[in-house]
Amino acid sequence: MAAVAQSPVLEIATLARDIVGPDWVVTDGAQLRVYECDGLKNQREVPGAVVLPGTTEQVAAVVRLCHERGVPFVARGAGSGLSGGAMPTAAGIIIGLSRLREVLDVDAPNQRARVQPGVTNLHVSEVAAPHGLYYAPDPSSQQVCTIGGNLAENAGGAHCLKYGFTTNHVLTATVVLSDGTIVELGSEAPDAPGLDLLGVLIGSEGTVAIVTEALLNLLPKPQHVETLVAMFPSSETAGEAVSTIIAEGIVPAAVEMMDRLAIDAAKTQSPVTWDTEAALIVELDGPVREVQSQFEAVTAICERCGADDVQVAASPAERMDIWRARKSAFAAVGALAPAYLVQDGVIPRTRLPEVLNGIRALADANGVRVANVFHAGDGNLHPLVLYDNKIEGEQERAEKVAIAIIELCVDFGGSITGEHGVGVEKICSMHKMFTGDDLTAFDRVRSAFDPDGLCNPDKLLPTPRLCGEVPGFHHTHRVEAAGLGERM
Amino acid sequence: MADLAGILGADRLADEDGTPVLTPRDADEVATLLAAATRDGLALLVRGGGTKLDWRPVPARCDAILSTAALAGIVDHQPGDMTLVARAGTPLDDVQAAVAADERHRQRLMLDPLGGSDATLGGILSTRAAGPRRHRYGTPRDIVIGARYVTGDGLAAKTGGTVVKNVAGYDVAKLLIGAHGSLAVLTEVAVKLHPVPDVERTLVLHTTDAAEAARFVAALRTAPVTPIVVDVRWPEGLVAVRIASTAAGADAQVALLHDLAPLEELDAKAGDALLDEHLAFPFTGSGAVLGVGVRPSDLTGLLAAVTAAGGAFVGRAALVAGDVVLPDADPDRIARFVEAAHALGGNVTARRTAEAHRLAAYVPAAGLAQLEAAMQQRLDPAGVLA
Repeated sequence: MAAVAQSPVLEIATLARDIVGPDWVVTDGAQLRVYECDGLKNQREVPGAVVLPGTTEQVAAVVRLCHERGVPFVARGAGSGLSGGAMPTAAGIIIGLSRLREVLDVDAPNQRARVQPGVTNLHVSEVAAPHGLYYAPDPSSQQVCTIGGNLAENAGGAHCLKYGFTTNHVLTATVVLSDGTIVELGSEAPDAPGLDLLGVLIGSEGTVAIVTEALLNLLPKPQHVETLVAMFPSSETAGEAVSTIIAEGIVPAAVEMMDRLAIDAAKTQSPVTWDTEAALIVELDGPVREVQSQFEAVTAICERCGADDVQVAASPAERMDIWRARKSAFAAVGALAPAYLVQDGVIPRTRLPEVLNGIRALADANGVRVANVFHAGDGNLHPLVLYDNKIEGEQERAEKVAIAIIELCVDFGGSITGEHGVGVEKICSMHKMFTGDDLTAFDRVRSAFDPDGLCNPDKLLPTPRLCGEVPGFHHTHRVEAAGLGERM
Repeated sequence: MADLAGILGADRLADEDGTPVLTPRDADEVATLLAAATRDGLALLVRGGGTKLDWRPVPARCDAILSTAALAGIVDHQPGDMTLVARAGTPLDDVQAAVAADERHRQRLMLDPLGGSDATLGGILSTRAAGPRRHRYGTPRDIVIGARYVTGDGLAAKTGGTVVKNVAGYDVAKLLIGAHGSLAVLTEVAVKLHPVPDVERTLVLHTTDAAEAARFVAALRTAPVTPIVVDVRWPEGLVAVRIASTAAGADAQVALLHDLAPLEELDAKAGDALLDEHLAFPFTGSGAVLGVGVRPSDLTGLLAAVTAAGGAFVGRAALVAGDVVLPDADPDRIARFVEAAHALGGNVTARRTAEAHRLAAYVPAAGLAQLEAAMQQRLDPAGVLA
């Protein structure tokens, strides 16, 4: 009897069972559906198989199987990403990192922690806490999102105005390249010679390598924290307060703004009783005397700029309530509408009033509601586009508005993404921000890591298949890259 | 070479000891030059202010120097957004003067002018040069938010943007920072600015006991203080701390520091003079100079290695990173120091003398070497800038 040829994906699944153990390979249709999307729920694809390795070497062995057969693979952490970065490809496999969830070492004297990629962001701070340390990047999803995903997306959070992003807090990363080679990027000591490939890896959205271990920088917990919420009659007046704070040379740990719709949503999930057009949350941290003197100044600025009411968190519990209101805003919007899209644009902060007007006009013209949550210190907007997915055509209208909003951000000199990544969601908006030559250069960087295009393909950079033919930008063919031929 | 001169016009071509110097005026001219150099198989050396050229080994071949002198000027400055865009050949001094001219916002670009007043933005990025303020503000990789560049084969491209938060596309700026112009020519740089602190006060601890110096530095790492500088000078035996805060905050922090160790406070002028000395340090003497970085817990080990090599060290005591100046270019002495630093798991990069470049030559691990070569090949296929 002639052998039935297996598809390359099923062949990998069969061989992977010997590498990772039979329990850690998923090929059953119903189970595969768990992996069909990440936090971007309106785009789905069922993967060919899911493999869950338990060590760096197992990741490398599975990637080698893919490389030998030209099968694409997508790394996945918690699947909490909001741009579809972990969306599977049907002809490929998912490599899930959920078994790699050990904190390997906390080195308190050097203020760093060595962790596996499946460790959650918040857990790093939990294990660092007994040493008086914490991990600074704090995306709102920090209870579930993992360090591997944080590196992939260069995760930020509410406190990155003062403390920077993931890229400012990672010392080394052990990675598996698309041919299965294991390399360590970065250095435990400062000023490593050679190229800063770690800097390219972080924020590369899983398209250049799979991270299997990371050495993270920890910070001493601030001696003192003060948090206030100021109620403003409009986003414009709240924005003026932020400008004045910045002009005074004060760098708060966080400055967050929520509009009325976002506040209404947050109130369904937290005990706050705010009733205003724009709530401005300002948090200062550091040595006690410095914080106190700056906090007085910030309070006075808010009042001078027209705040009707300034509420100061009187206890850690009250501070938690404020942050719960802010961090649950995305999910809470679910109480206001059957469905919503989270957007992530950046603008020069000083252009806020014009951009908010533009967003309002877009929402009105398309008959959808938009709630705004805003990292006001660094100009990172998170408009939430509400819609009813049971009404014919409303999802399409919402998607159109969401994309129009980020393209509006680019018109004002900003970016299509501040922390959620391009993924599949914004891939066709890359042209709005970058020229064909810019994208060609990006593609060259990508192909230096992954010449065969196997590592999370069809993400981050637009392709003619996904976005139509674009003049000027072409993927370098392997033959060209090797100098064996050229385009005429 | 005649072709390259033809691209720019004769007034953009000079001659320095037989080596032509090309001075393009914009990114388009840089792109045309590099495309032509790729076609003709030429080797170019990119030069900004020329203050740190010996931080990389002398290239095996240099058919021409590409000077960024005419790629100068501030493109955009938005104090309200704490951002600035300037062309890569702009001297850092010019940037600081423009930033300081805004009276409503007291801001500064927190890059230290290593190499003096000729140092350019592009040169500081390409050499990853950072001085004492690095303790708080980081290195160029923490300050740059976007860049325009031209690849070795003449593709003019942009990475990042002009807003302080942005994750669209690959962070190619990180790749070019510290690459010594080997992959691409930076033509424009976007940076974030920081507020100038209300008050800065400088205190010093005098000790020749490395363990005592290290204990003080370790205490600073966890104490509720906000220094912008924690520097050490060795074997002279000095740890300098510069506190930056509000007036009230600085008073409280200075009081706290006095409880940690017997410190002497310098007046403002002496404090500034001390930082200037530290900025100038890697350019002093005539012997070998090496940049060195070790883990925070290896500070005493590093100081012992400096002493054993008969050298002097000035650097950031808490990070730990700085420069070692040796009294000569004696190969045994250089090798002894390089070996000791590597034994600590540290990084060493030569800054001066051919011997130092030879003995501290970078040898990447196997997989990494392949990856770096692939990146070079993709961005500069003919090796024009390599």
